Amino acid sequence: MEYPKEQTDELKPYCSKLSSFTEGGVTFLYLEGLRLPVGCDPQVCDGLLCPVPREGYPSRLYLLVQVKSPYTRHWNVSNARIGEKNWFAFSWKVELESPTLVQILVAHLTGFTREK
Amino acid sequence: MKNEKMVVKQMETTECLEGKNSHDESSEASPHREYHVRIDGEIVEMEVQFPTGEMLLKKVGKRSCAFELIEEFEHRENDVLEPDEKVDLRKHGLKGFITAHKEIVTIFINNNPYSIERGERTVSDILAKLGQTPEGYVLLEEKHGAPLPLPTDRPVKIFGCEIFYSQVQSGGSS
Repeated sequence: MEYPKEQTDELKPYCSKLSSFTEGGVTFLYLEGLRLPVGCDPQVCDGLLCPVPREGYPSRLYLLVQVKSPYTRHWNVSNARIGEKNWFAFSWKVELESPTLVQILVAHLTGFTREK
Repeated sequence: MKNEKMVVKQMETTECLEGKNSHDESSEASPHREYHVRIDGEIVEMEVQFPTGEMLLKKVGKRSCAFELIEEFEHRENDVLEPDEKVDLRKHGLKGFITAHKEIVTIFINNNPYSIERGERTVSDILAKLGQTPEGYVLLEEKHGAPLPLPTDRPVKIFGCEIFYSQVQSGGSS
């Protein structure tokens, strides 16, 4: 599955390199050097965006490490093997009607900046 | 052509090496002229005789959303030059310009300008400009082209010219 180019282009300012790959029938967007919100440690981390339903969530954002943030998050995915790397994800449900890719990404990043 | 440059600097405001002394604004488009202007002690080159305040600020890497530009004169008090106001670089007595950080600066939220006091503000303060609250909206700040959400519990440093966006809160822990 290919995502609209205008939507993938909007993701580019958020990372140093954007690519995609398909695994298990799902096309993941690999955001190398993803910039994270103020207060996160690290401030930059590789991310993997799955903009389609997975693991009971409408979309998921995986990160290469468990990021420390101003609010404690429930990391319910650890060492998920995708694209030959181990990924982490916290429980954060994004509910938007027909969101663009960047809206999905930003909504996930918001999880680091809000209590709930 | 020899002596083509016009010089505007301290104590030599009206000196014109070319000899032409017209204050006609139509002459500013003449090619190959340069006006040397002192801004914050630095000499910069202008290509026009009647630049706006914003054009002069730009020459020293500043913008009117954060800084004001003040004209310095030889025999009279300083004057604030508005961003869209034009100034004659050959005006008699003009020594140069200084810049000063504004106390009330301009920020941009959803592409619209808003005035706000410089310093540390809260996310609530900024969203309030739109009549919104952190309970329903997320505040994003654009840096390097990427608007990122701001934590609601941390102060936001305002220097002027910051770019923000608000977005409906659309996620939550589950």
